[in-house]
Amino acid sequence: MLKMSDISKSFFGVTVLDHVDFSVGHGEIHALLGENGAGKSTLMNILAGVYTRDSGSVVFEGKKLEQTSVAAVEQAGIAFVHQELNLFNDLTVYENIFLRKEIVGRLGTLNKKAMIQQSRELFESLGVDIDPCAMVSELETGKKQLLEIAKALHAKARLFILDEPTTALNNEEIAHLFSIVRRLKEQGNSFIFISHKMTEIFALADRYTVLRNGQFIGSGLIAETTPQDVTRMMVGSQYSEGEAYAKRELGEPILELENLSGQGFQNISLSIRKGEVVGFTGLVGAGVSELFQTIFGERPITGGVLKINGAPVAGHTIHKAMLDRVAMIPSNRKENSIIPDFTLLENGYLSRHALTWRHQHISRQAELQRYEELRKKLNVKSNSPEDLITSLSGGNQQKVVLARWLNTHSDILLLDNPTQGIDVGAKAEIYRLIQELAQSGKTVLVNTLEIPEIQQVADRCIVFYHGSLQAQLERSEISEEAVMLQATGAINTAEVSN
Amino acid sequence: MGNQTLATKKSASFGKLVGNYIFVVIFLAIFAAYLIINQGATTWSGVMNILRHSAVVGILSFGMGLVIITGGIDLSVGSMLSLIGGLTVVVFNRTHSVVLTLLFALLAGLVCGLINGLFIGVAKMPAFIVTLATMLIYRSIAQFYLRTMGLSIYSMDASHASYDALYGFGQAKVATVPVVGIMLLLVTAVMVYISTMTKFGKQVYAIGSNEKAAHLAGINVTLIRVMVYVTTGILAGLAAFLWLAMNGSVDPATIGKSYEMYAIAAVVIGGISMSGGKGRLLGVLFGAMSYNIIDKIIASLGFDALINDTIKGSILLVAVFVQMAVPLLRSRLKKGSN
Repeated sequence: MLKMSDISKSFFGVTVLDHVDFSVGHGEIHALLGENGAGKSTLMNILAGVYTRDSGSVVFEGKKLEQTSVAAVEQAGIAFVHQELNLFNDLTVYENIFLRKEIVGRLGTLNKKAMIQQSRELFESLGVDIDPCAMVSELETGKKQLLEIAKALHAKARLFILDEPTTALNNEEIAHLFSIVRRLKEQGNSFIFISHKMTEIFALADRYTVLRNGQFIGSGLIAETTPQDVTRMMVGSQYSEGEAYAKRELGEPILELENLSGQGFQNISLSIRKGEVVGFTGLVGAGVSELFQTIFGERPITGGVLKINGAPVAGHTIHKAMLDRVAMIPSNRKENSIIPDFTLLENGYLSRHALTWRHQHISRQAELQRYEELRKKLNVKSNSPEDLITSLSGGNQQKVVLARWLNTHSDILLLDNPTQGIDVGAKAEIYRLIQELAQSGKTVLVNTLEIPEIQQVADRCIVFYHGSLQAQLERSEISEEAVMLQATGAINTAEVSN
Repeated sequence: MGNQTLATKKSASFGKLVGNYIFVVIFLAIFAAYLIINQGATTWSGVMNILRHSAVVGILSFGMGLVIITGGIDLSVGSMLSLIGGLTVVVFNRTHSVVLTLLFALLAGLVCGLINGLFIGVAKMPAFIVTLATMLIYRSIAQFYLRTMGLSIYSMDASHASYDALYGFGQAKVATVPVVGIMLLLVTAVMVYISTMTKFGKQVYAIGSNEKAAHLAGINVTLIRVMVYVTTGILAGLAAFLWLAMNGSVDPATIGKSYEMYAIAAVVIGGISMSGGKGRLLGVLFGAMSYNIIDKIIASLGFDALINDTIKGSILLVAVFVQMAVPLLRSRLKKGSN
């Protein structure tokens, strides 16, 4: 169906694609794999007509695609469903579908009835439950993703590029998306599936292609490979199978929750000891993020008691939590963590400066020294502390955010989805850092949707379901299956002994 | 190839430098025009007068700059000048004390700024609306209060010795440099220091760059916002005091009219981004002085002063166009060379 051969591309003299071959067959789901910076996005942007290629050829359904525009590629039947969705939030669903293809009456007036009707038929054929007249801003992220696919389908697309389509979806939505993808595949449509999540790739894809550093590494059938093999291909020699986990001596209870309730969770009782690493998981909306935000003073406590270092907290605010040496690294780094106009140095010292109003003068010398120590400790790969934080890769940005909170001498670290949008190599480094921090006496709470992450680092795993603590699993009991059974509420609370 | 990349790096950083300090280039261009037009008539005291006459707008602009860095705006600074100036005259005429007059001006500024700050920071109302409202209110109070006293202008009582002290301060020079101009430079130094070298200054930038992240990094966003508007008010108080020292009277209907606009223009010419988080306060000094020189140029050309705003407006357009176009051109050139 699609054959891209010998594609090369360089930016500013740096080769990002080096004679890459890539092909997709009819009715095939093809996983395109590689770490961040491997060249996946560049290759897809060349296919979609966003970038021009330096050399090579693209053939789609027997027709050669010349260096061309986004519109011409869409016309040919290729649809790019971006990670950041290309929908207009302030228009209705059907207006989005028919944008620039509106059905009009004789006087140029919109034939809303026909458009709504066709949208409804489109959704019915897909098995999607979306109201054509709803505002897009009111849709859940999962629905938006499906709308994007429906829109492409309406535009007669036959090859869909899905760029990390599941990052913002909960498990139910993911299952729904996958069933629709499979159905479309049976009708002869093809998908290029970009994802970092091995479980999804192995559940959905037929074939795979791995890129590394802009080069074609390999291609084959998913059925004939294993996640370990594919990961090894992606990261090359740097991949080591070994777990980051190491057993530690645990100290006194440092964080105690007694029937704690807040917005989004209720009656949580927990005791966490100094030096412990606790993995939290649950479907999106299960209440773990809200619990973290409440411990950090960002949301009010509505009931129960929260004790830090044995002392109950009252009138909790972020500032008070910081003085109690609690730190939170929120999810969605770009929105909630990064000060984009600040340098690495400034991003690193910001929170320490918020601790007290005294000592207003900033001593550059002292700050640079402190930053340098943290940089070494966290192995941040950067040129100069004066570079903007936006110049770093996601993994290194996250390390700078971590440095920000080590700078405040935090003892309790709440990490909400810390490896979101970070590539495999950097993820492994973050796990290693979590272990090192725990070794040095820090207490780390990690919220993640990826169970293997918890297996990598945690002493125990706490599963949330609908705002309640559903289960506590000891390290030896943590398995993907056991956790998912609890997280999806498949096991009744009454049956759980705890 | 190594040499080539080094060369492009160098030229890129030079381009960046010019981009960052474009306000100096604009100032020098306007200043050169002033020298050429004035030719032999240029005097040292004439040049020094630029500094003196830039003081009031300049000091207001520093407050405005800080506010704009947080992503806000303060339309009320011109009206503050009117209200604070008027009330300060009344206080002077009652107390005949220069010190009390200064203290009152600063305090009145603090209160005016606090009102803005509480509505914007605590009640989370849009800065544009709040300061639009106080812009109307502050000047109206100044005018109404004057009417209730049966006067047409706030005028300082010149019969007392302290008047001579205050007015003398406004005209005084130290080593041929006007004291009012020195005050502007002092404010510049203090504001540049605060914005670049203090925790408070960095937190102001952080809020403008990403408010949510700043909040989650532990910054008290509400407090910083209130403080920024209070600072602007205090600076407006200082500006009003200097105005009195220079002029001796206040006509509440005309004083500081459009100054909020000149202040915004000075800030923008100074290279501070209206969306917040970016830019240097040092640029504000050059922006304010550039505008003052235009007044001088038009006066020496013998043009009608009414053409003034046409030229100021045009320069604002050109300055911002250059600021936008230079980085765009640079990235185009980069792309083209590859």
